[in-house]
Amino acid sequence: MGLKTLDKITAALENRPAELEQLRKQGKKVVGWLAYNIPEEIIYALGLIPIRIGQGGDGRLVEVGARHISTKNCVFVRQVLGQFAEKTDPYIKQLDLVAIDATCIQLYRLEELINFYFDYNTIVLGVPRNFATTEGHEYFRKEVEFFTKKLELFAGANLEQSRLEEAIKIYDNIREAIKTLYRYQGLDNAPLSWRQVSSVINAGYNLDRLTYLELLQELIQEIEKNLSEVTGVREIEARIFLSGSLIPPGDTKLIDIIEQLGGRIVGDDLWSGFNFFLNLKITEPTPYGVADAYLDRVPHGSLPYLDLASDGRLANLKHQIKEFNADGVVYHTLRYCDAFTFKAGETKDVLGNVPFLEIHTEYSGSDIEAIRTRVEAFIEMIKSKKEIAELV
Amino acid sequence: MAITAPFSYPESIKEKFIATPGLKFKDGSTVSSAEIWEFMTKEAPRRFPYAFDAGANNMGRFSDDVNFLSGIKRGYLTLTLKDRIMKEHAAGTPTVLVQGGQAMDAYYAAGGLPVRPGLVMQWARNMEEGLSLRQSETLGLNILESGRRKISIDACNQIAAHAAIDNKVVPIDLIAPFLCLRCSDMSFLVETHRNREHDIPRYLVDYPVDHENKPWAAEYIATELRELISKIAALSGRIITDEVIFDEIKLENRGRRIATEIADLWWGAENPPTNSTDFFGIAFLANDFVGDPVAAVDLLEQSKLEIEERVRNNVKGFGVPDNAKRLYICGSCVGPNAHHAQTAGAIFVGRDDSWSCISVPVEEEGDPYLNIAKSMLAYPYEQRTEKRAEWTAEQVKRSRADGVIFMYQWGCNYQSGVARMISDIVKEKAGVVTTFVEVGELGRSEATEQSTNRVEAFIEMV
Ligand code: SF4
Ligand code: SF4
Repeated sequence: MGLKTLDKITAALENRPAELEQLRKQGKKVVGWLAYNIPEEIIYALGLIPIRIGQGGDGRLVEVGARHISTKNCVFVRQVLGQFAEKTDPYIKQLDLVAIDATCIQLYRLEELINFYFDYNTIVLGVPRNFATTEGHEYFRKEVEFFTKKLELFAGANLEQSRLEEAIKIYDNIREAIKTLYRYQGLDNAPLSWRQVSSVINAGYNLDRLTYLELLQELIQEIEKNLSEVTGVREIEARIFLSGSLIPPGDTKLIDIIEQLGGRIVGDDLWSGFNFFLNLKITEPTPYGVADAYLDRVPHGSLPYLDLASDGRLANLKHQIKEFNADGVVYHTLRYCDAFTFKAGETKDVLGNVPFLEIHTEYSGSDIEAIRTRVEAFIEMIKSKKEIAELV
Repeated sequence: MAITAPFSYPESIKEKFIATPGLKFKDGSTVSSAEIWEFMTKEAPRRFPYAFDAGANNMGRFSDDVNFLSGIKRGYLTLTLKDRIMKEHAAGTPTVLVQGGQAMDAYYAAGGLPVRPGLVMQWARNMEEGLSLRQSETLGLNILESGRRKISIDACNQIAAHAAIDNKVVPIDLIAPFLCLRCSDMSFLVETHRNREHDIPRYLVDYPVDHENKPWAAEYIATELRELISKIAALSGRIITDEVIFDEIKLENRGRRIATEIADLWWGAENPPTNSTDFFGIAFLANDFVGDPVAAVDLLEQSKLEIEERVRNNVKGFGVPDNAKRLYICGSCVGPNAHHAQTAGAIFVGRDDSWSCISVPVEEEGDPYLNIAKSMLAYPYEQRTEKRAEWTAEQVKRSRADGVIFMYQWGCNYQSGVARMISDIVKEKAGVVTTFVEVGELGRSEATEQSTNRVEAFIEMV
């Protein structure tokens, strides 16, 4: 089904770099941010333009980045570094400030390199590894407060409570809209695919937040209007859930393979995907309130958590697999991403009977055939299991 | 393959050696030099033949400078580590897996026995006695591979220590390291223990990024140190007061001070008074590589006297090449082979990792938790990379190094991330040539040609 709003989103994206150029001429400042715990609401409330950065899937840029870092660092980090080295990306070249949180220390290292080699103005937000403790919360509150002060200086404005409340509302609505889209893509005869939702999320990296929210709401309306028209016979399909290291904009290798082989992606718990929008409820519109809310949402795999039974990330993973009625999990790990790679075996153990396939990969194409063979066997296995189950 | 005769200490030095003082230990016991001699010439070669392998590839090879008598005692402390840990553990002292390269004051003060991953592996390998170097390495590699199979081949060789704990090769009572910004694997490896059959308690003391001028960073660590110390004390049964902690801090500060004084003496000498192995051994003593701070401080004092005498008499350490190229070594958990480097005409004059935490004493008054936290946050090695590199450049200048080698281990993602940047900054600030070498050998002494060749080529270039 062709969704007109998706075309509108694409058009808005095409215009965005020129729009940013105009805004910068008018004195607006652009803050590129990366990672998982940057409170974008605060950037927005200060009248700055937040742009989420970080692309994947481009072996050439990885090579460029590797001139400044080791080939033994995570490929995403290398590619982002390559983006900064080249400065040809229409967004990267318009950044006035780069904000990175230290959820993943490799990203913290990236911040240092961007600052040192490419002369970008950068700011770091510390994130406690012991994120679930009172002292961890206390630390993060102070960090967010400090981060806010630095941003205030940069913006030349003070954070007003009313502006923050307004920003929180916009971001809450964006999160709700993404959740709705996820629900729809997971339906049996879904009006849009996971891939389309993913590209909508990616568009949100760059678009003006209000415009984005309006487009999301329009998209939802369009989907809901057409929902009743959806009919069809249920085919036997392999409903795949994606987990593990991030799959950023531009990295379609695994997604392509799964879809080409007849698998259907129905959900994910990626930090570049659905997890980012979950369980974030800011109840107190202050930097402290924002800090608590960010720390209390689904934790990132880069933050160690020492008790398996009460791990919120794993609990969310199990819940989402059920929620999206997934048949199997493809656990995607990027080489040298210890955060997710070291947890592969454990995740498999925790998921018990859920079919599980780990794909350990990079952005180069050299392993495509090997991945294809493994994914094919996995999808076949799921389908034949379901066929047998239907027969019984 | 030619078999090299095992290393042994010549009888000619016995008399001189046994006339020197013995060593004191933290449990109040002592050992005489005559007993040390007996151990190092009879018992140890029988029990730990691998340590006496005289092949140049033996990374743990003893120093050839047999007249540097403190070196023999350091060897004694290394080879008795297993016996001492087992004895203490049997007597109720909790063994704690910790991070290396950081001060151990809190652990000892709480009545624990901190063991860093490198020592866990040494201990694990020594659990089987009578092994040749190859056998001992094979034992270590088997443990390492079992960890890699279970977790990931992307891990550095620290995984071997966790596998040794998982496989119950060594008894560890608490897994509770400090984190730091140089080590990518520790936190994730500690996390893997939550999915194991054993139920060893776990705790992490966090280490915040960009902590300069942020009092809340030190407060955060201090709160966690309280928790850490109370967890260890619950196992050791020790009653913890500020005074108990300060006693430990004073002892450790003494070690740090002497090591720093030795470094200054050594760097100021016309001729390097010891070879690389003995010089690095000094830092190892002050940085708790021997499991007993009292013995370490005692031996540091003795080492200092010997070095002072050598400097006074302009004695060059045995094995130091004439006109040796002076190399400063950067990076963690791995370094170039000192014997190969010496043969190629170089000597090591410093090591950023080991010297970092030695260079920061802990305040001896006030709130001991906060003091330890503040000193941890002041380690030059754990600052922002630019600042760390500037400190390194200063060290390079003070040690009059001619070149810098940054080495990092396969799987060491945070070091690999900054190796290039540090090398670039040090090159610019100190005006010396630099290189960086990734080491993929993970604890092997065979098939090490790749990194050895790179180091030797660099020395030639210097
Ligand atoms: S979490 Fe993993 S994939 Fe993401 S930046 Fe860190 S190392 Fe790379
Ligand atoms: S090699 Fe690197 S990652 Fe491994 S233990 Fe050492 S510092 Fe940590």
